[in-house]
Amino acid sequence: MSAAETNEADAAETKPKVTDFELAQQSAAGDRDAFEQLYHRHFRRVYALCLRMTSNPSTAEDLTQEVFIHLFNKIGSFRGDSAFTTWLHRMTVNHVLMYFRKSSTRSELLTMEGETPVQIVRGTENQAKMPIVDRIALEKAISELPPGYRSVFILHDVEGYEHEEIGRMLGTSTGTSKSQLHKARLKLRDLIRRQAAEN
Amino acid sequence: MDCEESLPLLSDYHAGELDESARDGVRDHLGCCPPCDGIYHDVETIVVSASSLREEEGISFPDENAIWQRMQFN
Repeated sequence: MSAAETNEADAAETKPKVTDFELAQQSAAGDRDAFEQLYHRHFRRVYALCLRMTSNPSTAEDLTQEVFIHLFNKIGSFRGDSAFTTWLHRMTVNHVLMYFRKSSTRSELLTMEGETPVQIVRGTENQAKMPIVDRIALEKAISELPPGYRSVFILHDVEGYEHEEIGRMLGTSTGTSKSQLHKARLKLRDLIRRQAAEN
Repeated sequence: MDCEESLPLLSDYHAGELDESARDGVRDHLGCCPPCDGIYHDVETIVVSASSLREEEGISFPDENAIWQRMQFN
């Protein structure tokens, strides 16, 4: 590497990285290159979230694409009040929830009562404690949850949202969110134990 | 407290959101009921395991350049 190239590389290292907020402002002003930078910066995070929520790579890819098109149209409304990643995370969650609403009835999304009863039959189950659940087994079990249970479980136990916020996002009460989370965990337990028994 | 009463409370118990009376009732029941104690242990295991899913390791990502090329902006 020549001295000039070395200096250039050093300058690049010391040059402060353009922030997401700056890129968002530039994007809002019509700078397509700035938006492409934002896209590449956040693509993996958005796709991973869509995949966790849908458990379907093809659907996650479609939703990721839609999220970024929506982001492009809404980028001017980002005021920097929160971190860009937080804002985009929330936008992605809302977009996936909207997808669930469109593809299932409201009752399927919100209640699931009676559809997948969680039954624990005393005295018939293996009482050995569950070992640490590996990622593949857990993801497989989550993919078999009904969308309503899956949404609450992912939002609370994986993404770390509080019940109050989940209730607002799903248009339901905090109590319903808590109740669905508990049922989702018991259903997952049942699914994981069945998987283990089959293997 | 019996099994039927304690089972719906296990997640709230785990989150520390029960009042003192209910918390003591669940704790005492788990102490004398191995099946319910096993269920509680499994719930704890699931909660701990779930937090690891936020990591992107192990995910097979699609070609982001191809997706960028496909996107149509108005």
